[in-house]
Amino acid sequence: MEMKPSVEIIQLPLSFLLLGLSALVVTWLLCFRLLKAFSASKSSGSSSPTSQSYTGSETEKDWTLPSMDSHAHRDSLFHRWDPRIKLLSLFVYIFCVASITQVPTACIALLSAIGSVAAAHIPFRHPLRRLAAMGGFLGMLLLIMPLTAPAKQGDTLVVFQHLSFMTFNFRGFLLALLICLKASAIALMMEPLLGTSPFSITIHALARLGVPQQVCQMILLTHRYIFVFFHEMKRMNAGMKARGFRNKTNIETVRTLGNFVGMLMVHSFERTQRVYEAMTARGYNGTLPDYISFQALQQDWIKGAFWIILGVVLVGMDRLW
Amino acid sequence: MHQTQYPRQAGSEQRPLFEIRSLSYRYPDGQPALREIDLTIHEGDRVALVGHNGAGKTTLIKHLGGLYRPQQGTVLYKGIPLEGNILDTVRLEVGILFQDPDDQLFCNTLYEDIAFGPMNQRLEQEEVDHRVRHAVRKVALETVLYKAPHHLSYGQKKRAALAAVLSMRPQVLILDEPTANLDSRQERLFWELFQDFPGTLIVISHDLAFMYGICDRAVVLEQGKIHHDYVMKELVSQRAYLRAHGLDFTFRFDTHAHPHASPEGHSHRHMNSVGHSDTHSHPYPDLHSHSEEHIEEAPTFPSRSSRSEDEKEGSAALSSIPDISKEDIPSTLLLLHDYSYRYPDGTWGLRNVSFTVREGENVAIVGENGAGKSTLARCLMGIIAGMGRHELDGKPITPKNRSDLWRHLGMVFQNPSDQLFCPSCQEEVAFGPRQMGLPPEEVKLRTKEALEAVRLTGYEHRVPHHLSAGERKRLAIAAVLGMKPRVLILDEPTAHLDQRSEELLVEILQRLDITKILISHDMPLIMALCRRTVVLHEGKIIRDYESAELQHDEHLISINGLDYTYKNACCREIMALQQDFEAGQSR
Repeated sequence: MEMKPSVEIIQLPLSFLLLGLSALVVTWLLCFRLLKAFSASKSSGSSSPTSQSYTGSETEKDWTLPSMDSHAHRDSLFHRWDPRIKLLSLFVYIFCVASITQVPTACIALLSAIGSVAAAHIPFRHPLRRLAAMGGFLGMLLLIMPLTAPAKQGDTLVVFQHLSFMTFNFRGFLLALLICLKASAIALMMEPLLGTSPFSITIHALARLGVPQQVCQMILLTHRYIFVFFHEMKRMNAGMKARGFRNKTNIETVRTLGNFVGMLMVHSFERTQRVYEAMTARGYNGTLPDYISFQALQQDWIKGAFWIILGVVLVGMDRLW
Repeated sequence: MHQTQYPRQAGSEQRPLFEIRSLSYRYPDGQPALREIDLTIHEGDRVALVGHNGAGKTTLIKHLGGLYRPQQGTVLYKGIPLEGNILDTVRLEVGILFQDPDDQLFCNTLYEDIAFGPMNQRLEQEEVDHRVRHAVRKVALETVLYKAPHHLSYGQKKRAALAAVLSMRPQVLILDEPTANLDSRQERLFWELFQDFPGTLIVISHDLAFMYGICDRAVVLEQGKIHHDYVMKELVSQRAYLRAHGLDFTFRFDTHAHPHASPEGHSHRHMNSVGHSDTHSHPYPDLHSHSEEHIEEAPTFPSRSSRSEDEKEGSAALSSIPDISKEDIPSTLLLLHDYSYRYPDGTWGLRNVSFTVREGENVAIVGENGAGKSTLARCLMGIIAGMGRHELDGKPITPKNRSDLWRHLGMVFQNPSDQLFCPSCQEEVAFGPRQMGLPPEEVKLRTKEALEAVRLTGYEHRVPHHLSAGERKRLAIAAVLGMKPRVLILDEPTAHLDQRSEELLVEILQRLDITKILISHDMPLIMALCRRTVVLHEGKIIRDYESAELQHDEHLISINGLDYTYKNACCREIMALQQDFEAGQSR
């Protein structure tokens, strides 16, 4: 005999659903406008061609993700921190945040991440653009999970009038919210973690922490050549568009895209060979020269201890809540 | 009889540095790259390696740099065969500057890239730092020392790659097309650095005028063999030698070095940085809508008949440029008015540009690297969109019809590989017409005609990727011509081409009865194809005048550093040598 789980059901008029959806759309639009405003404020730093005639409103929008270490030259507590200890302790902290199970603790983690970004003197438009990149995925999660989470004992279900087939599971919503909060907190922590030292120094620090040399070299070369391949891809795409190529849903488009990807791979393979030759020609024999010397001071250890303790406290609070 | 032994002075005390004996090499696909090469390069030699694309020049220098192992024969460095542990030493003593700077800048900051070589030489940290700063100062890149290479312009990357080699203080400097795609200012910087280089210098370039100033020996390679080993002066002074090897580059500066006097009564318009013009007249009074209000006197176009006989003879290439008389000034085809474009990072690519192109006109766009030339071309093509008025045939280009501009304008990119992606030449040329929705018979006909126009008949089933640089460039042109555009935009069409390919390309372009916009640093090409030149500087048009005036525009050097005078001097010297030689022969 099948046991029906005992759940609390709340009946709401349809207007509540419409209101919720509207709030979601408005929030999304507000975020979009906020990002646009940030982009505009960034661009306004450069002088306009004639101050009275152009505001820059029609210029091409930059939706690309900002480069990871573009603010590595600034000065803050995070910038002055030994990258090895910074990596180790913040990684432990992030691991602690990832293991949080309660929404209130996740909120605290998010607030601490926002505080860290501010303390690292990184403009908020950078992390916001990263969050925007994740936004679509997280938004879908917020929408889908409450509607699809299976009902369990003790769950609260919201049923809308005239839409009885669709139940809004409050537990599913909380779970989605928890994931969103944790993901945002971790994404924000990436800024003080990776954005406060030059990328190559961060990777050298990783190597000192025991990550294999080959892996570090691969990360460094990937980071360098991802931009080269991206530019190559953009040029090829422009070349195709200049001859009338437009994405359509037909076999011709699939064939052209196949040729495009194939040619991109051929170019990449040839470049790999040339880069290896250029490296060999300047004395490369399997290891990248290490010219960075790290020195850990007492304050570096104190900072490290603070973040690890904060992580442990968060987990403790989470478990005791 | 070929001269394959460089006539070294008796009693010369220079030690042999490289001794190559019976060197042969085949590519993995079995194609021979080098065949029975015998060559000795002494310490302090300054060697120009010349030959067509695919002659084996790059393969040879890779052997010298210890990157390739000889399949047959031997390569000795200071008397020791290049194999085993000696390779590590050679790589640290021989510096190679590769063609593409992106291959050579593999670190995440410029500092790391320049320090890479000295670090591998196991130098002390202070010495490495000193060398990095010294090298970066030499190439004038101090301000971008900690930037990532992908944030640099092409010219900056090229200079950075040179700094990365110079910081190793190599005994031998090998340069593969060091100045391709560089503006004259940077070309001159390279020229001065190479002139001061104290060690052995080996240069591959198609620019004989450039190499003439820095090399004293010329080794001619043809189909993987050493065809000749000349004294540089001897090679350039004898047109017959140059012609025999397909290296006759004098067709380029028949117009270039020719001392064009600015035509009488002719003057031009200078636009200063705020867009005001100085008082100069112009041969095309109505060709530039934006300039009408500034031109004070009605200029007269110097008709070809009014030119001196001497000028006519010297300007053979110019004869193909169609004359435009005042009476039959064609209609405006393309117009940009007060047009600006800003890159996503906030920097201005174009600022208040006003630019007009008439039907049938050939216009050159010049400017230093990063001046906005390619950006202007992309805006004209509608690939990117800025602010301002953009018109085709008097009709405004709106976001809606911008995507249809490709039907009227065709563009050949700097690197033809960027626009060749089909598995065969036929498919490549047919791609555009197919996108236009033409019937298969018409596509076939256009493909045939376009391939014929660029002399690639018979190449229909060949793979574009396997063609030589010159053939690929011509294929890219065919791919555009197949769409029968009204305007052909060419971005650096002669970069990396050998003399033969270049001559053929110029001939093809001269025959094309179509409006052309040419972006180039190549003065002879501009002189051969375009009567009008527009100079861009920091995204603004600062000059718009007759091409002949560009060579004599001394103000240009102070504004954007473009200096064609030193190249002109080389060309004049070479022509004088040829005239002396020919006079001696006739006596």
